[in-house]
Amino acid sequence: MSIRPHRLSKRAIFYLVVAFAVVIVVFPSYWLLVTSLQEEKYLLVYPPYLTPQLFNWRSYLSLFEATPMVLWLRNSIMVSLGVTALALILSVLGAYALSGFRFRGRGLFVFFLLATQMLPQALLVTPMFILFRQMGLIDTLQGLVVVDTAFVVPVTVWIMKGFFDSIPREIEEAALIDGCSRMSALFRIVLPLSLPAVVAVCVVAFFEGWNEYLFAVTFVSSSDNWVATMGLASFIGELATPLELVMAAAAIFSVAPVAFYLLMQRYIISGLTGGAVKG
Amino acid sequence: MSVRISPREAALGPRSRRRIDWLPYLLALPLAVFLGAVLLVPIGRGIVSSFFSIDFLAPEQGKFVGLANYQRMVQDPGFWHSAATTLLYTSLVVFFVLLTATSMALLVNRPFKGRVLARGLITLPWAFPEVAAVLLWLWMFNQQYGILGLVARTLHLAGDSTPWLTNPNWAMMSLILMTVWKIFPFYTLVILTALQTIQQELYEAAKIDGANPIQSFFHVTLPGIMPVFSILTLLVTIWSLQRFTTIWLLTGGGPANATETLVIKVYNAAFRFYDLGYGSALGAAGLLLSLAVASLYFMVERRSASEKV
Repeated sequence: MSIRPHRLSKRAIFYLVVAFAVVIVVFPSYWLLVTSLQEEKYLLVYPPYLTPQLFNWRSYLSLFEATPMVLWLRNSIMVSLGVTALALILSVLGAYALSGFRFRGRGLFVFFLLATQMLPQALLVTPMFILFRQMGLIDTLQGLVVVDTAFVVPVTVWIMKGFFDSIPREIEEAALIDGCSRMSALFRIVLPLSLPAVVAVCVVAFFEGWNEYLFAVTFVSSSDNWVATMGLASFIGELATPLELVMAAAAIFSVAPVAFYLLMQRYIISGLTGGAVKG
Repeated sequence: MSVRISPREAALGPRSRRRIDWLPYLLALPLAVFLGAVLLVPIGRGIVSSFFSIDFLAPEQGKFVGLANYQRMVQDPGFWHSAATTLLYTSLVVFFVLLTATSMALLVNRPFKGRVLARGLITLPWAFPEVAAVLLWLWMFNQQYGILGLVARTLHLAGDSTPWLTNPNWAMMSLILMTVWKIFPFYTLVILTALQTIQQELYEAAKIDGANPIQSFFHVTLPGIMPVFSILTLLVTIWSLQRFTTIWLLTGGGPANATETLVIKVYNAAFRFYDLGYGSALGAAGLLLSLAVASLYFMVERRSASEKV
């Protein structure tokens, strides 16, 4: 055998292995889409059809008629936007303190931020429930904004600080010599240069609010305040909603984060080098 | 050097140099107050309430019972069972996640046509919302019509209806399968960035020295990703100890408590049995466990940081 065909077959085997890995990992997502487009008669059969038997886009429309999906998504968007705004403000100020200054207690503050990442949320949910009830934040979207921000802000501060650290100090110092105060240097010089970090913080914070389930299901009771994770989870174990609608709901809910990930893949991967993104 | 006044100090003037600069404290204050109020206060109160007997509906009228909740905990076989379940779940997830993540990272590390696409697709589950992923996997695990039943039968792993979530042993395996699928991409991405930092010259040198691919894997690749490996092991451990949503929605801790980790047990005690005092004691035990792992994390972090210098 000459060298060429041998190398070619090695290459072919490599591509086969990659294709196999991709198929295994991606198959569930494919199955979600296929199921959402079928009718019950093609779903409740064994063995299952591996390919779509029809492309029934109606389930995506009837989903909005049959369930309060619009309300759930609206509430989720409100919570996510709230988390984004609050986390951004707190992160910019906190990260600037950590990046631009050396002060007494700084080490303790960093330790405190990292330590909050180690706290299991499910163990905090009971005492937080009691506290939030006393503050009248139970069963409100604002309450969810507060909780979700508390769990995501240590991460976003870290992303922001990592970026602030990479900005040359000379740029800021030049602004200070020109008579800028440190605060106006932050808002006029440092922050505009940190746009990628601002975007990253917004994305991370938004999807924390979007995906959060534990506190939502524990704190929120009235159906007007249900967020989408609660609505989706409420399909579990109930038989009234057709399966294809449930899968359509899951698909709609997943579209935004998946699209964002694919679009910003390169940026997210480079952001990981700082070890700042939560899994 | 010390005599030189930096431009910043010059700009601030000599007067402000002698005083404490309050600005960083003002900047950090909102964050510190916020996290203190929302996280620290509840932790403190959670620990305090573990010494009380508290009814969920009137948490203000607790009765002090000393260590009774803890006494009950160590005598409760359910506690030890859930501790063992937590250990089993965590160790298996750690093992399979790191194995999958490393293999996948090695697979898509070297350049080939379509690598960017393959990377994007392989790491896609990471972007999936947890709740949506559970809905999907519940359908795939469906005992009667689920697609995984077909897979299991084709591979001769099981008969016609596989009890994916209804048999205690299968349920733990199914839970681990879904967990690994959902979380391995994060670790793949981190390992990939570590692989990129390995210098190509090292591989060439190994080749010249007559090393085969397996030898160069053990002597070049593995040492190159080892530093991130220890941190990743601790991260996947901590996050597996904490995992709630996936377990709660996929199995609810069942069947027959087979997947009831400590975190699930805490939630059940408080919100299913309305036993806040006992739930808090269980929570304190879980907190202790997390802190033990966290201190290990900081020790490793500090060691690897000093190695870099």
